[in-house]
Amino acid sequence: MIRVQELTKSYGAHAVLRGVTLEVARGELAVVIGASGSGKSTFLRCLNGLERLDGGAIEIAGTTLVPGLAPEEEERRANALRQEVGMVFQQFHLFPHMSALANIVEAPVHVAGVSPAEARERALHLLERFGLAAKARSRPDQLSGGEQQRVAIARALAMQPTVMLFDEPTSALDPRRAGEILRILDALADDGLTMVVVTHSMGFARKAADRVHVFHEGRVIESGPPEEVLVNPREAATRELLELG
Amino acid sequence: MLTLALALLALQAPSDALEAIRARGAFTWGADEEGGGPYLFPDPAEPSRRIGFEVELADALALELTRELGAPIAAQFAQGPWDKLPDLLKTGRIDLVLNGYEWTPERARDMAATLPYYVFELQLLTRADAAGASWEWLASAPPKQVGVLGGSSAESYLAQRCPTLELVSYDGNTNAMGDVVSGRLDATLQDLPIALFYRAEFPELAFTGAPVAPGRYVIYVRRGEQRLHTALDRALLALRTEGTLRAIDERYGIWTAAQENTEYLSLPAASDEAAVEAGFFARYGVPLLESAGMTVLLSLLSFPLAILLGLGIALGRLYGPRLVAWPLTLYVEVLRGTPLMLQLFVLFYVLPNAGLELPALGAAVLGLAVNYSAYEAEIYRAGLQAVPVGQMEAALVLGMSRRLALRRVVVPQAVRIVVPAVTNDFIALFKDTSVCSVITVVELTKRYNIAAMTHPSDVLPLAAMAAVLYLVMSYPLSLLSARLERALRA
Ligand SMILES: Nc1ncnc2c1ncn2[C@@H]1O[C@H](COP(=O)(O)OP(=O)(O)OP(=O)(O)O)[C@@H](O)[C@H]1O
Ligand SMILES: [Mg+2]
Repeated sequence: MIRVQELTKSYGAHAVLRGVTLEVARGELAVVIGASGSGKSTFLRCLNGLERLDGGAIEIAGTTLVPGLAPEEEERRANALRQEVGMVFQQFHLFPHMSALANIVEAPVHVAGVSPAEARERALHLLERFGLAAKARSRPDQLSGGEQQRVAIARALAMQPTVMLFDEPTSALDPRRAGEILRILDALADDGLTMVVVTHSMGFARKAADRVHVFHEGRVIESGPPEEVLVNPREAATRELLELG
Repeated sequence: MLTLALALLALQAPSDALEAIRARGAFTWGADEEGGGPYLFPDPAEPSRRIGFEVELADALALELTRELGAPIAAQFAQGPWDKLPDLLKTGRIDLVLNGYEWTPERARDMAATLPYYVFELQLLTRADAAGASWEWLASAPPKQVGVLGGSSAESYLAQRCPTLELVSYDGNTNAMGDVVSGRLDATLQDLPIALFYRAEFPELAFTGAPVAPGRYVIYVRRGEQRLHTALDRALLALRTEGTLRAIDERYGIWTAAQENTEYLSLPAASDEAAVEAGFFARYGVPLLESAGMTVLLSLLSFPLAILLGLGIALGRLYGPRLVAWPLTLYVEVLRGTPLMLQLFVLFYVLPNAGLELPALGAAVLGLAVNYSAYEAEIYRAGLQAVPVGQMEAALVLGMSRRLALRRVVVPQAVRIVVPAVTNDFIALFKDTSVCSVITVVELTKRYNIAAMTHPSDVLPLAAMAAVLYLVMSYPLSLLSARLERALRA
């Protein structure tokens, strides 16, 4: 579903990604861990075309991204892949001028062309599933962090993506709320969604991940099932990360 | 005792204008250079020098006063806006108003008038190729469009004599003549000296019919300056009998037979018949209300246009390709860097030369819209930039195109941010509509100025009424914008 080869990305002279190679199979839940500044967020942003790549290639949900495309072609491909790939930002970025319900209905109606009535039906269903039925009419600034996070997930899911990218879905939440989010991700995994989750939560990685990828200074230094990588790490950097976490 | 008397004298002396003039060695005469020839204008041969028949008259008066006072007196020119010269006189900034000011009973009640120095008449000017032009033709159907100086005797003469005419009010004289040549106007009624002076410059214009409605140009001094008043009258009489006045007039080609019409060489007896005029509201109420309507119309038509243009420009500058963004930057800088009055002038008087003729109201609306679009564009640009980048990214990630993301996500948030600044601008535009008087659109401020000029004694109630009208119009606006802000924040 996702194949990344020798991906490089720099901001000016600062090389953030220095040759990332990894694969995620259909229906797999991949967890990315790594020290702060190791390039995890940048990697996710590259996956859905928010950042332009400097080198290497990304194949995701049937679309290929390579460096040096003409701007219109790059825009076209990014837009095509985003129809299949949803993303939830660390800071959620809900639309503050719309209610929770309107946030969720927005893209299905205006991008996918779903009828407003049907989009509403689906949105209410998602809110119900996430325990937010009472909050449909609330504005984002009237919601708690955990509620905002769930609305953001519902907003992405409403487009019925085949791949979901999550950037630290629990970092802004207290442990109890974090637990709720992790249960939601678990359930999505059971539905067969392909997911890439950046997290600092080793507990989640251990329980939910099919594969764990360890980022270190812009490279994947270790990949494997959690019971290998998290129990018997090969790399010193991984061991260090686990001891700190 | 002696010192006390001297001190008292010294205190009293400046209160007498003639004494002050002697002490200073000069009198200050107020006039408006913008009025142009033949009154007062820059010497074409040496533009830093002022010439004109009133300049020469002032110098001749200085000579007479020198003789009379036995001390050297010079004539000192002070520039002032024509319609504000009486105010400059009353506040003591100038000693006399000498600038084609007609004797009228209203002004004579407000200021003291000297003997006339020139008898002017009004001359009808039409296109030389307009067959059959005459005063009868002017009064016949269809209604003719005639340009006049706003608040001039020509305006009131026509308003009384030919009520069917469509009068177009101008700020200057040559613009009206130019508009007769171009066909925008059917005719213009001008003070004869102006018509004579510019005759050579407008060969396309013909003098139609005999001059009409003689009137007196007089010098005004402050009421109560009896000594200065008498000295000036004596000087004027001397200049007339010596032939100096005639010599000056002839140098500017404006000597006419009317200068020897003895009936007009003195002032009419002050009569109180003017006091029988209609009541204050009947006289000013309707015209002021009408022109307030024009102010509202101009604002309501131009501001929505300015908003739409401004939003388009801001989006183009922020998200358009460089080929689009660069000219838009130039557009904004040029419009913000030049005065609105100049832009209106270009739209109304210059564009017709390029074949694009706009009616006055159209030019006014377009001018205001274009001018304010530059300011709106900058407000919107700041508003758009204040929306966090994450909002655009979140929209893109949902599969929106850039265009859709702007329309659905970024612009609606920017609008909420800019509402206070935009309503502020609307109130500013509302007041800026008064500038449109330079292109013959008569709105509230212009109407007030004209009324205040012709009836100086009514200035206070007039000003109060104009102010009340402005407030009555702008207060609901403030209420509306406050409600809008609240609604958007909720
Ligand atoms: N737009 C940008 N311009 C310049 N440098 C950037 C930009 N975005 C990220 N960086 C730099 O790239 C490096 C990697 O950032 P990134 O956000 O990918 O790290 P991360 O692994 O997600 O860290 P964390 O765990 O703290 O979120 C950092 O040093 C950051 O300062
Ligand atoms: Mg990060």
